[in-house]
Amino acid sequence: MAERVLITGLGMVTAIGDNVAGNLKSLRMQQSGIGFTQHIDTIYKDSLPVAEVRHSTATLQEMAGVAGKDGYTRTTLLGLIAMREALADAGIADASEEPTGFINASTVGGMCDTEKVYFDVINPEKEGNFLQYIDTLDCADCTQRIADTVGISEYIATISTACSSSANALMFGARLIRAGLVRRVICGGTEALTRFTLNGFNSLKNIDKQHCRPFDQHRNGLNLGEGAAYLVLESESLARQRHATVKAELKGYANTNEAFHPTAPSPEGDGAFAAMQQALAMGGVAPEDVQYVNVHGTATLSNDLAEGHALQRLFGNKVPPFSSTKPFTGHALAAAGGIEAIYAVLAIQHALIFPNLHFSEKMEELYITPETQLKEGVPVSNVISNSFGFGGNNASLLISKYEG
Amino acid sequence: MSAISPQHSFGENVFSQPLMTVSENVFACVEPDYRAYMPPNSIRRMTRILKVGLTAALQCMQDAGITVPGAIVTGTGKGSLSDTERFLKEIREYKETALNATPFIQSTYNAVNGLIALQQKCTQYNNTFVHRGFSFENALLDAMLLIAEGNKDILVGAFEEITAEHFYIKSRIGFWKKEKIASNELYQHPTPGTISGEGAAFFLLSDTPGEVQLSGLKMVYKPKESYLQKFLASHELNLEDIDLVISGRNGDSNFDHYYDGLPNELPFKHLCGEYDTSGAFALWLGAQILKAQQVPANWFPMLTVPAGPYKNILIYNHFFGEQHVYMLLTLNTGYLK
Amino acid sequence: MEDLKQKLKVQIIEALNLQDTKPEDIDDNAPLFGEGLGLDSIDSLELMVLLERHYHIKVEDPREGRKILQSVQSMAEFIQSKQPA
Repeated sequence: MAERVLITGLGMVTAIGDNVAGNLKSLRMQQSGIGFTQHIDTIYKDSLPVAEVRHSTATLQEMAGVAGKDGYTRTTLLGLIAMREALADAGIADASEEPTGFINASTVGGMCDTEKVYFDVINPEKEGNFLQYIDTLDCADCTQRIADTVGISEYIATISTACSSSANALMFGARLIRAGLVRRVICGGTEALTRFTLNGFNSLKNIDKQHCRPFDQHRNGLNLGEGAAYLVLESESLARQRHATVKAELKGYANTNEAFHPTAPSPEGDGAFAAMQQALAMGGVAPEDVQYVNVHGTATLSNDLAEGHALQRLFGNKVPPFSSTKPFTGHALAAAGGIEAIYAVLAIQHALIFPNLHFSEKMEELYITPETQLKEGVPVSNVISNSFGFGGNNASLLISKYEG
Repeated sequence: MSAISPQHSFGENVFSQPLMTVSENVFACVEPDYRAYMPPNSIRRMTRILKVGLTAALQCMQDAGITVPGAIVTGTGKGSLSDTERFLKEIREYKETALNATPFIQSTYNAVNGLIALQQKCTQYNNTFVHRGFSFENALLDAMLLIAEGNKDILVGAFEEITAEHFYIKSRIGFWKKEKIASNELYQHPTPGTISGEGAAFFLLSDTPGEVQLSGLKMVYKPKESYLQKFLASHELNLEDIDLVISGRNGDSNFDHYYDGLPNELPFKHLCGEYDTSGAFALWLGAQILKAQQVPANWFPMLTVPAGPYKNILIYNHFFGEQHVYMLLTLNTGYLK
Repeated sequence: MEDLKQKLKVQIIEALNLQDTKPEDIDDNAPLFGEGLGLDSIDSLELMVLLERHYHIKVEDPREGRKILQSVQSMAEFIQSKQPA
């Protein structure tokens, strides 16, 4: 019998908070983190809104405990801040005392810093300090720097499946535990805003010039965000042995592919439907026992249509309360799955359902609408968290109240 | 299995192909005719590594007689470098306006996976690992877990390209040898740096035992001491039981000491160069040797090849001293082909 | 108008890398998407980029784009309508 996988620590930094408590506070106050960038050098700095972490790199260095040290990209710093909080939250003083895995997720590695020096790097006539950022572009850089700083050396991996990356990281970590290869894995993702990604999504005509409006008839694209989020996963026996405080259980998960189009889901949401259905089946949870769905809800035309259809197919006329929290955090790509998994845990811990900001009109193709008000005091035992991405990559997680 | 590499590894009669060499410290793949694998309309947007990756994957499935795999898992250190470079340049050239989305889409690391899934209509598990010298190996671990969890026919592979620009970038931090050498003399040049390469290799992992069995896999991150004995012990083997050690030796005096003292050593980097996912080429080579019970004769003229028969092949490779990987391949004598 | 259409065909072939297609293979009124040339939504983005780079016309709304990009004829008409007489 495979071990149950428990969540024993949370750490995060996003545009709406420097830690989990800060995020919870902003969610409760319905305070969005979307605004204009102060850190990216782009012609869109006053026209395309983003959800940026409001700290300079120097401040992030301090928060990450590496003040004055060079070579840490913004991606790494955000990740390190979240990692330190996750470890502390789980009551782990020294990560190296138990063989620990680190499954990270990243979409463009340290592009945030390399794009600033790239043309110097490829110019033989330029020399200087920038050379230390040469090898930070690839996604392994942030993972290894974070691992090295906190002393993790067992299973080290970085996953990149676009917007579903960190959901897949959580899934892979859980599977390592269930296979008995390791008893503790820290999983999630980190993402810093870049000019590269902003222009990428803009070239796909996928960015809204206003605040994003998930599941709204007039939605017109996403807002990008940045941040990092990690969850400490432990086998039930390890958590019990060390009397860890269990926050929730990662009860089910599934990864499916649309096999439909490089950047768009099938209109009927086949992959999303299958991912949610399989995650529920794995956890042995019936659709009617789901109290909240934290949807992917990017507010692009095609995602919300496909995901909405999938919800209607799975839940019929009893679709549980659902909301996209991307109007708070923006779409933090590789970090999104981790951020939203933590929100799922918070929903369970604090009996909350978060509102889907900026919703006003039902989509004509659907009969469902998202939750628009903060709901407090609602018992939440099972949450589905969805992350869907380019390449048709879908991932759904089932996060549940732990009943030992 | 299949491999597109700087050698003639893709077609028939691999064992009689001549050794391909380079003298500029950088290898490039021998590219097949892609049109035999995909319709022209889907090729036209693809950059080189997408075509290489997709074609290797398709050939692997053809080879195994599988149309729709049970899952697709890949590893790549750098993904489509050409597309990343092109998008960076177009952002600058066109001052962030009127940008084509294609290089951005194709620069995503899971683009090849998406293409394979799309072309074969595979709606199952799909994952991409991007972690330098652990990229392919994590994909392999994922695939082995999938098999253990009861899935069948897992397509697992790796793809990597080197571009002139990236070769230059890495030369600035000492990845490659300063002096130009002939690739077939790689092991006679113990100086700092190595030679660069690229390639793609795909495998179909089955849940039923075949001729070649992947019996062990271990990734060791920045080890303080050799993990070799522990690895062998975990499989109840001694060094004497290993008939062939395919080693990642690459002539880099900074890191080659890790390979010292290995018995029955057969290094492979003079065939493909150094890159994040060269372990996939090593696995392909090891499996070929095990199946044929011989080493491709033309490919190792500079070495004394350890004599067969080969039952246990150990692959030990590391990427610039950080990610160390051990793989154990075993010939399944109990099963006929 | 004929010149413009001819030029457009060459530009479309180049932008989309339609290796086996010659300008004379493209009928003015044949649909570019689905049947006809068999282009997809990524091509439609690229054609909008073509309009922006070569003709300095920006199409903001993808839905509007679909109408303009129906055929070479519709593209040419749109370009002409946007250019000073």
